[in-house]
Amino acid sequence: MKRRQILAAGCACCASLATSRVWAQPAESYLVPERFQRPDLASDEGGLWAMMDREEKLLRRSPLVLRDARLTTYVQDIACRLGAGHCPDIRVFLVRTPQFNASMAPNGMMQIWTGLLLRMDNEAQLAAVIGHEIGHYLQRHTVERLRDIKSRAAASQVLGLFGLVGAIGSLVVLASAYGYSRDQEREADRIGAWLMHRAGYKVAESALVWNNLLDEARAREGSEPSQTSPLFATHPAPPERRDTLALLAKDLPGGTDGRENFTAQTAPYLAEWQEDEVKRGQYAESLVLLSRRIATDNAPGMARYYRGEVYRLRGQAGDLDLAWTDYQAAAADASPQPQAFRGIGLLARQRGQKEDARQAFARYVELAPEAPDAALIKSYLEELGS
Amino acid sequence: MKNLLVVLLAMLLAACASVKKVESGANPVGDRMSITVDGNWNHLDFPGLKPAQVWTMEGIAIDELLVYPGIRDGQAMHPEFSANSRNKDFTFRKTMQTEELVSMFEGTLSRDGSTFKLKKVEPFAFGGKKGFRFEYERIRKVDGVRLSGIGFGAVDREELFALVYQAPRLTFFPRHQARVEAIAKAVVIK
Repeated sequence: MKRRQILAAGCACCASLATSRVWAQPAESYLVPERFQRPDLASDEGGLWAMMDREEKLLRRSPLVLRDARLTTYVQDIACRLGAGHCPDIRVFLVRTPQFNASMAPNGMMQIWTGLLLRMDNEAQLAAVIGHEIGHYLQRHTVERLRDIKSRAAASQVLGLFGLVGAIGSLVVLASAYGYSRDQEREADRIGAWLMHRAGYKVAESALVWNNLLDEARAREGSEPSQTSPLFATHPAPPERRDTLALLAKDLPGGTDGRENFTAQTAPYLAEWQEDEVKRGQYAESLVLLSRRIATDNAPGMARYYRGEVYRLRGQAGDLDLAWTDYQAAAADASPQPQAFRGIGLLARQRGQKEDARQAFARYVELAPEAPDAALIKSYLEELGS
Repeated sequence: MKNLLVVLLAMLLAACASVKKVESGANPVGDRMSITVDGNWNHLDFPGLKPAQVWTMEGIAIDELLVYPGIRDGQAMHPEFSANSRNKDFTFRKTMQTEELVSMFEGTLSRDGSTFKLKKVEPFAFGGKKGFRFEYERIRKVDGVRLSGIGFGAVDREELFALVYQAPRLTFFPRHQARVEAIAKAVVIK
């Protein structure tokens, strides 16, 4: 048995070596490795798995994890279609955090943050991110990275200070801090594209994920972000990545984008996720994101309300006029957000348009009598006179 | 690991912080604010949370009373907190309306990835000025602890004065809420 395990490990190692330049191979040649066996606890990889198991135990109890079985199952099913034989080892957790992030640990724990879900236009884009993370998992990049860092002189000092357990913990922290190398990112992109294609998704959508993220980063930085942003600094240059994925898509044509299903599954959460986005206070990025949603959403009224909020809160020259236009459009929606009327009321009150303010506030209180700010708005109504 | 991080963070902060007891009675804070307290409050002074002062009853990892003793127009809220982040700071503007001020606190308290749910906002006379009071719930990102919080504030002569108190929803917040409400009612703004 032990001999077989050694052989299997050797084969896995060979497979890893054989695929270490996966991004340079033709699209059809990638062989998905067999399911991984739990590594020996005494090994560095075993220690890493044990650490991730503990993290997963904590994550399971976290109140930040979405407890919606329907949405979690939907995303888990996407991961299963992409991961195929590895499906039983992948466990998806959706975490309520408004930033763009997804990760997959070596033990199969996958985290997807709600800020990422909000930024996806369709199921194929989500599959692109999940496929990318599964690519890291299949190539055991975290372990590679761990060993790379472990070999550095600084790490050996840590080893001496805290013993093996402490060292593994520190190295995990270091590994996550350093992120994957650029070659690993390229490899994961390419594997992700293959997995997408094999599962029937439109690979061209993967380039759009990167493009959209780049647009937000440009708005934040006010220039090309590749030189300044830590995220882009550890990844291949954005244009290269986008162009490579677009080229891959030409080799891997066809597929569906799954937009309709994705829209239906995520619809119940859109208000909450957009509200979390506005609270971030990163207005330049939010404006790019929300403007894209307005341009592509079937029912853009909600996104117009939230974009109005961003303009009102940013409050730069001309912003209040833009907020006014967005609130008006949102209020004219077939199923308007009640808060759109509050927005109109607040701006009208600020401009001294008392009658407009009174009408809008009255409508808001009528539509949302239990709103957290109902008492405040009623005090404005009293001040305005009824 | 996250719990360990909280403890390490608290130890780190404690190591950098100077702690002094807040005496019962009226305590001047800044040039124009006076806070009257009873009980064993401690004032922690450490980098990262200015321009607020941080007071605590139970210890910094458990409860905190953030005191904003006159934030000026254009001044950022806790700018050092995000010194290594590319995130833009939340900045006070003298023209802000109540909703914008509450949104600024929402953003400040959720910038670390914590959730913030506003439960109530209403008019409140703070320091004898026309102000506001708000209640919220927060799930702290670093350890997943559910917190309850209350805030009070007013803008006077282009400066923001505010108190924000938060503590774990179970046990600690109910234990001190009445005490904090009394402090807020007794605040004097000169």
